[in-house]
Amino acid sequence: METQSLVTIVPWTFIATILNLFIQMWLIKKFLFKPINNILEKRQTMTDQEITDARAAKEEADGLKQQYESSIADAQMKATEIVQNAQKEAQVRADGIVAAAQTEAADLKSKAEADITQEKKKAINEVKNEIGGLAMDIAGKVVEKEIHEEDHKKLIDDFINNVGDAS
Amino acid sequence: MSDSFSIEGARIFARIHTGIPVLGDFLITETLVVQWIVMAVITFLCIFLTRHLSVTKISKRQAIAELLVDTANKFVRNNTGGGHKFDKLIPFVAALFATSVLSNLISLIGLRSPTADLSVEAAWAIVVFVMITKAKIKASGVLGYLKGFTTPIFIMTPFNILSEIATPVSMACRHFGNILSGLVIDGLIYWALGLASSALLGLIPGVVGRFLSNIPILEVGVPAITGVYFDWFSGCMQAFIFCMLTVMYIANAAEG
Repeated sequence: METQSLVTIVPWTFIATILNLFIQMWLIKKFLFKPINNILEKRQTMTDQEITDARAAKEEADGLKQQYESSIADAQMKATEIVQNAQKEAQVRADGIVAAAQTEAADLKSKAEADITQEKKKAINEVKNEIGGLAMDIAGKVVEKEIHEEDHKKLIDDFINNVGDAS
Repeated sequence: MSDSFSIEGARIFARIHTGIPVLGDFLITETLVVQWIVMAVITFLCIFLTRHLSVTKISKRQAIAELLVDTANKFVRNNTGGGHKFDKLIPFVAALFATSVLSNLISLIGLRSPTADLSVEAAWAIVVFVMITKAKIKASGVLGYLKGFTTPIFIMTPFNILSEIATPVSMACRHFGNILSGLVIDGLIYWALGLASSALLGLIPGVVGRFLSNIPILEVGVPAITGVYFDWFSGCMQAFIFCMLTVMYIANAAEG
């Protein structure tokens, strides 16, 4: 078979090679670079989008967290207040109860004292009457003379009163 | 086994008479046919790799395609000083590299490398030369470009013109020389090994020896090892160097 010489430039091969190179370039561009660059770009857009979304979500979460934290602090404050109020009220009520009890106790004591005084008076009066009677009886027997009760009653009472006061 | 070694140019399958003076007949040579095969393979690969693309959960095929595109992008951008100024060059450089590397390596399956024909490298180098010149003129205008030849002094003009022309010539000849030398050395090695095994097995007496001496048994193995350098390394290296120079020359030219 016929061969070309080893080192030569064949014009038509030369031209065809130039054309082939540009055709090849176009083919590679169309079938490799265009679709792949397209995909890469899409992926880039998607990644950017995801990052933006993530940032927005984080901001929202931060906002919510702050809100929750402040509401929890509020709740704690309120709880403390309620407890304090309850304690105060309880103290007031306890004080009231104690005061009432003291008053009642004082009342009871004074009443008891009044009763005692009255009883004492009553006892003294009874004793006075007894002593009066006895004195009249003794005096009657002593003087053998009937002492007129109505006449001397006043005298005796004065005497007893004086005795009572002296005792 | 032949006792003499010879290497020939690409075979001519058909000759189409055109009658155009300078260009001569259109020759359907081995170079052209294999070039078409190379183009078909590259195009098929591109289409195959970019089938069923998706944004997430990519297939291995897509990963390879993305890697290729990314490598091409980085190659051009890094060698032009970063930035997206020369992004238009990327498909051209990719086509050049793919064609070159596949043309060099196709000799491994027994076809004749199109790059073992100076016409091919000359064509590529001329295209690159035109692009360099275009970038230079774009950077400093036609007058500035012409004036550039007279720097630093007017006497330097012939040398400047020579160095300008030397660029495509050296690019073409470097690539061609490497591939052709690989072809020659591979041929020599096969030839020598054939002779050696024929001589070795011919030592066996009688019919057996005569029969066995026709089997070039030594040709199995050794060329695979030498081929690592002369085919694989040289082939990839030359394609890489050619593209590297293309990008660098154009980038330099554009800087003015």
